[in-house]
Amino acid sequence: MSLTEQKIGRALVVGAGVGGIRAALDLAQSGYRVTLIEKEAHTGGILAKLDRQFPTDRCGMCKMLPTIKRDAVSQHCLRRGLFHENIEIITGASLLALEGTPGNFSARIQENPRWVDADLCTGCGLCEQVCPVEIKNPFNQHMGLCKAIHLPTPHSIPNSYVIDTTACTRCGECEKVCPTGAIRISWQDRERFRVLVVDDELIVRSSLEAWLSKEAGFSADTAGSGEEALELLGTNSYQVMFLDIKMPGMDGMEVLEKAKGISPDTAVVMMTAYATVETAVEAMKIGALDYLVKPFDAESVLPKVNSIYEALQLSTARKLDVGAVVLCGGVSYFDPSTGKDTFCYGASKNVVTSLEFERMLSSCGPFEGKLLRPDNLKPVQKVAFIQCVGSRDIGLNADFCSSACCAFAVKEARLAVEQSNSQVEAAIFYMDMRAYQKPLESYCQDAREQYGVRFVKSRVHSVIADKDNNCILRYPSPQDGSMQEESFDMVVLAVGQRPAKASRELADMLELPVNEFGFIKTLPFSCCETEKPGIFAGGSFTGLKDINESLICAGAAAQGASLALHGAGGSLAPVAKAIRPDPELLRALPSVFIALCTCNNKLGRVEDEKALADKLKYQPCVKKVHAFERLCTSSGFDELVEAVKKSGANRLLVGTCLPHLHESRIIELARTLKVDRACVEVTDIFAPANRDGQQGEPKGLSGSSEVLSILLSGIARLKRVRPHPLPTIPVTQQALIIGGGIAGITAALAIADQGFEVELVEKGQRLGGNLSWIKRTIEGLETAPLLEETLGRLEKHPLITLHTQAGVLATTGSIGSFESRVATNNGEHTIAHGVCILATGADEAPVKGFGYGLAESVMTQKEWESALEKNSQEASNLESIVFIQCAGCRSEERNYCARVCCATTLKQALYIKVQNPSSAVFVLYRDMMAYGQMESYYTQARRMGVIFIPYKKDCPPSVEKKDEGLFVTAFDPILQKDLCISADRVILAAGLAPELPEDLAAGLGIQIDEHGFFKEAQFKWQPVESATSGFFACGAVLGPRNISESIASAKAAASRALALLTKESITGGRISASVRPSLCSLCERCIEACPYGARTLDTENEKILVNPALCQGCGSCVTACPNGASVLEGFLREQMLETIDAAFA
Amino acid sequence: MAQTATIDAPNKDISLGIKNFLGQLLKSGLAEAVLLPLRQPGSTTVMPGLVTDPDALEQADLLAPVAPLSAARMAARLTRRSTGKPVAAVLRPCEVRAFIELVKFNQAKAEDILLISADCAGVMSNKDYGTFAAAEASPPGERFWKAAGRGDATQVDGFSLASACKVCEQPFSSSADISLGILGADGSVGIPATANTQKGEDALKKLGLDQSPPNKAHQKVLSMLVERRSQAKQALFATMEEKVNSLGALNKYFENCVNCYNCRVACPICYCRECVFLTDAFDHDPPLYLNWAFRNKAIKMPTDTAFFHLTRLAHMSTSCVGCGQCTNACPNDIPVADLFIRVSAATQKAFEYQPGQSLEEKPPLAVFEADEFGEAVGIKSKAAS
Repeated sequence: MSLTEQKIGRALVVGAGVGGIRAALDLAQSGYRVTLIEKEAHTGGILAKLDRQFPTDRCGMCKMLPTIKRDAVSQHCLRRGLFHENIEIITGASLLALEGTPGNFSARIQENPRWVDADLCTGCGLCEQVCPVEIKNPFNQHMGLCKAIHLPTPHSIPNSYVIDTTACTRCGECEKVCPTGAIRISWQDRERFRVLVVDDELIVRSSLEAWLSKEAGFSADTAGSGEEALELLGTNSYQVMFLDIKMPGMDGMEVLEKAKGISPDTAVVMMTAYATVETAVEAMKIGALDYLVKPFDAESVLPKVNSIYEALQLSTARKLDVGAVVLCGGVSYFDPSTGKDTFCYGASKNVVTSLEFERMLSSCGPFEGKLLRPDNLKPVQKVAFIQCVGSRDIGLNADFCSSACCAFAVKEARLAVEQSNSQVEAAIFYMDMRAYQKPLESYCQDAREQYGVRFVKSRVHSVIADKDNNCILRYPSPQDGSMQEESFDMVVLAVGQRPAKASRELADMLELPVNEFGFIKTLPFSCCETEKPGIFAGGSFTGLKDINESLICAGAAAQGASLALHGAGGSLAPVAKAIRPDPELLRALPSVFIALCTCNNKLGRVEDEKALADKLKYQPCVKKVHAFERLCTSSGFDELVEAVKKSGANRLLVGTCLPHLHESRIIELARTLKVDRACVEVTDIFAPANRDGQQGEPKGLSGSSEVLSILLSGIARLKRVRPHPLPTIPVTQQALIIGGGIAGITAALAIADQGFEVELVEKGQRLGGNLSWIKRTIEGLETAPLLEETLGRLEKHPLITLHTQAGVLATTGSIGSFESRVATNNGEHTIAHGVCILATGADEAPVKGFGYGLAESVMTQKEWESALEKNSQEASNLESIVFIQCAGCRSEERNYCARVCCATTLKQALYIKVQNPSSAVFVLYRDMMAYGQMESYYTQARRMGVIFIPYKKDCPPSVEKKDEGLFVTAFDPILQKDLCISADRVILAAGLAPELPEDLAAGLGIQIDEHGFFKEAQFKWQPVESATSGFFACGAVLGPRNISESIASAKAAASRALALLTKESITGGRISASVRPSLCSLCERCIEACPYGARTLDTENEKILVNPALCQGCGSCVTACPNGASVLEGFLREQMLETIDAAFA
Repeated sequence: MAQTATIDAPNKDISLGIKNFLGQLLKSGLAEAVLLPLRQPGSTTVMPGLVTDPDALEQADLLAPVAPLSAARMAARLTRRSTGKPVAAVLRPCEVRAFIELVKFNQAKAEDILLISADCAGVMSNKDYGTFAAAEASPPGERFWKAAGRGDATQVDGFSLASACKVCEQPFSSSADISLGILGADGSVGIPATANTQKGEDALKKLGLDQSPPNKAHQKVLSMLVERRSQAKQALFATMEEKVNSLGALNKYFENCVNCYNCRVACPICYCRECVFLTDAFDHDPPLYLNWAFRNKAIKMPTDTAFFHLTRLAHMSTSCVGCGQCTNACPNDIPVADLFIRVSAATQKAFEYQPGQSLEEKPPLAVFEADEFGEAVGIKSKAAS
């Protein structure tokens, strides 16, 4: 089969938050096509609203952009938008239906109506100026105002306006001023939309008729009885029928049934009194679309009709054949005004949610980043954060921990202190500070010590507003439990996660089971596989995840989707052939064609050409200045191509508006003109030319000195462009995986299943790692079948070569082509590989103190687990068991939370309680890290009588061995006294310590973090890869994690690795650095300056070498080099100097 | 470290004492060659020279008040790649500092070289030295040292010391392997030698020079001299302020500059193989000159004069050792060094950097600290405590 006949694999990703973007990028980079749909008008999801994230307190989303084959994607701020040659993004769209099997799904996508044509809107903002309707700004969580026609985010590219159609009065002012005719809110269309109102009461008929026709502009007819209605339905076609249920004679239900026969396409909305709501629900089962409860007013009816109108008349549905589906719908957040205790939310302006506070911290937020009290706009001096609002609350069916809010609150507290120059005092009221993510322990310490954030371990009883609107918190003192009152300027509620609205709809439509909280359920040990093969849940869609975990889960889902596409025979998208630069062009003098868009003569006319050409007369390289009426249209595009070809120019400078700066369009233009991409520059002249001149009219193309500056700098860049073939390096399409625990095994299978060879190196005799002693999980899942199944597949897999009792000695080479020396029982081997995945895991950390070693009955969790394995009756004879948490971690020596031990303790405590209900089980803990759904086991343990006693780090429990036995002494903060517990067993939660010997890391040339774990490039954005490209990691060597999390990270790492392995070679980026050896003094400053490790000194030839696959074109080397020996293509010094000069033109 | 010893000065002749010491270095094999100021045959001209035969040390002129070019560059040429053979170099204190900077820029290697530095009373410009040396028959070095050997003279026989030397606060070297304290030494008690490094200490030991107490008289002369130089520096800085306090004033300062770039060729810190101002980056497109001329009605040619000096300041002022070679090299008598010393005092203070002091201290531009200069780079540092 030739390439063109082959079916190209395409995946559908639903939701374009960071999870969806991660999944889409992984699939696109592996070479598949992706359709990414998003119901909002912009990408980025919740992160569009968050300026800064823990642990860097900056953004960094762009770190998700690919570092290899980076010209496939626009390299700019990812919060502003994403453009990838293999990704089609549809905003304002949702998944309507899905049929078929993995590899052969048929999806129906519904696109919302667009009142503003995104292709035509230039974002000029004239419409916003004339719009008379003000609404609460949705981007700022409804704080501050914006117009009914507004930008959905302040930063997106392209940023086209949207209309809040419920608020819009359809006055038509915006339509009149729009220079490009992008807006259509036409009345004529609405008049053609016919509505039938059926009710026996005249008052209902006439008021509905008036609202629908006079206010909403639809055509409305009325009928006083069922018979009359059916008659009308027979003669006219109606789009919607409002139908009363209780009518004399033929009732609503009967009419509905008959109407379905006469006019099946008419949408029916039932009207019912409160007492007959159940009948209305019945009606919906037999085909009614919706119902209204009487009495109602125009405000409740019109949005409903509007949305039916939009859905029926304006939205378009399209069919799409896809091989796999990844659902990344994100989550929604608890609304505190719906809770039993609202903490004064809604009543006091000074009580806000964490999301609202985040917007307040933003420079484009309601107060432009100043921390002001919403009630009186005075600077905030004292702010309280209340954790677990809508989480860990059984009364709200929220017996879970939302996992992300602790980090979120600490970050906001730090930012508040920082942004106010330490003028703000911040206090966090919490139950357990769930700082279980690897970098969070020290992040919290910094918050406490350097930012002065107060951490108060107390559940706030209530918040009331005093007469000055101060927020008075009532809470039990963490010291002695006495009730305290404290006044704050503001209170921030850490609102918990809830399933996204779309989650329920998608679950129903796809028949996916959800858990008791409404989150989509996944298969055992999997974070992303749903019950339906080929359908995966990624990102935070399954709930209760932070960004790090969401992205890992998205990567894992992408890997699943990739495998589904591969399994169904979907091939990779063909790679466009690079146009080889014409050697003639290199010799030819630069000759620039300047194309300007007048935006439908708004910015001037064709005469301006001459005026501008005159101003550019000292630029001999300018071949022609040509004005076009509308470059954004396809005829404008053709006209341009024609004119450039005719002129004989060899470079093209296009001056147009911002939205048309898309990389994809420029690539298309260059391809059509058959010139190198570098020979085409597109620059924004719309904004300066559209600025008001002296008479209030736009300055126009020839009247703006700024336009001239922009054109001159464009010319300066273009005339020095040197089209050159891009350097390429070959890829050894084979992976080396070090470590044969569950993570290494999973990664090996994931890669081998996609058809690439894997060499798996394990230092021990057997595979399986920690699964040799962890026999079951807290959920009750047995690990043995998992291990058996994966090992069985591994051993039989023809593409996996296993080396046990082996170790990697050293690795040479770089991304794409490594060579590793591996020592095994039968001598040394050399393995060639393109990527390396590290999965060396972690083991139980050593314990010091806590009575360990005093007696055999003081043991670690692992030892206890093994003892149980030998004798399952072990627990039945014990009367008193004490668990001590944080016995090996969260100390100076290992300053991180080991994350898995609280769950293990809960599991073991529950087991003991089940085996021996009369036993006394105590858990001495600092913070119970029962994140996510683990919370419910914590609740269960408390219900079953396990006694939890908190202790402070500086006051740890002591264990003594006396003649009578073991005694554990701990201070009980509730009783305010020391407890002495006689214990049959003391079980210590030692935590995990990494298994990553320094010599292995050094041999591989990878970095380890301060705790000895693999140092990921970025905890949040690049969680499974090293900054040194070509190295990935998964499992506990990344940081402590449980089995499912390890498996997820393994799949995510495999997914990232596959992005590289699927390529035979890697081509460097168009903008990348090189060295001019004749100028180079070999001072090596550039080597130190390069953040990607792309530069090396070739001592033999006395040259600096640049690895084209690693170079990201950031230009750090150029700034470090004093004399221009280091050059960045596209940003040559002479280009930059002339560009700066042009700015003063 | 800082072990002190005394080198014998026969007949109170410090010059001879040093030559004997260097001869011993060569004979002992501690150095196979010595780089030092060498009188040219039949002339009073002194140039750096490389000596392998102890007898040839006869021509060395260690006291002549001239540094025709920075010998640090020569030492760098000698050591850029390891030859495996040990050499020694007698450098002026400013040259030692420059050499250490060059090592940090990977333009020289310190491993195979033993740096020896004698106190420096200052030098004259190349032009002045020529006239001074020709004025009388007696050897210029001895004549100069007789008048200026205590370091308190700013001119000898009507010939002024170079402006940079008059404000030099480091007339001694604390970073050479061995420094020789000849300022104020009359030779009667020998020459105090201080080993500042392990390498220097080993050399003194190997030559059988016993440890001796520090020479207090020498230290007193030095501290008085440094005090006087500091005052002179402050006075110079005060006059500099208004000379260059605007772009206009700066252009006036350099109005005689012909863009010959000699100052940068002479600069021991400017290590670029070719200056960026000689590359095509400044080979402007001809229309650009016309554009500038139209925009400003008239422009000076050559252009980029102030740009050149500002760029050089940006590139090297943090490492400037104040040797004054730029002024020495200027054909149009522009006091380049005065400005560079003034600016580098500020930039070096800003980074708390002392060039030429230690190989361990990285040059500021090679180090990135996320937390520094928050007000300039716009990255807020950690919250104020």
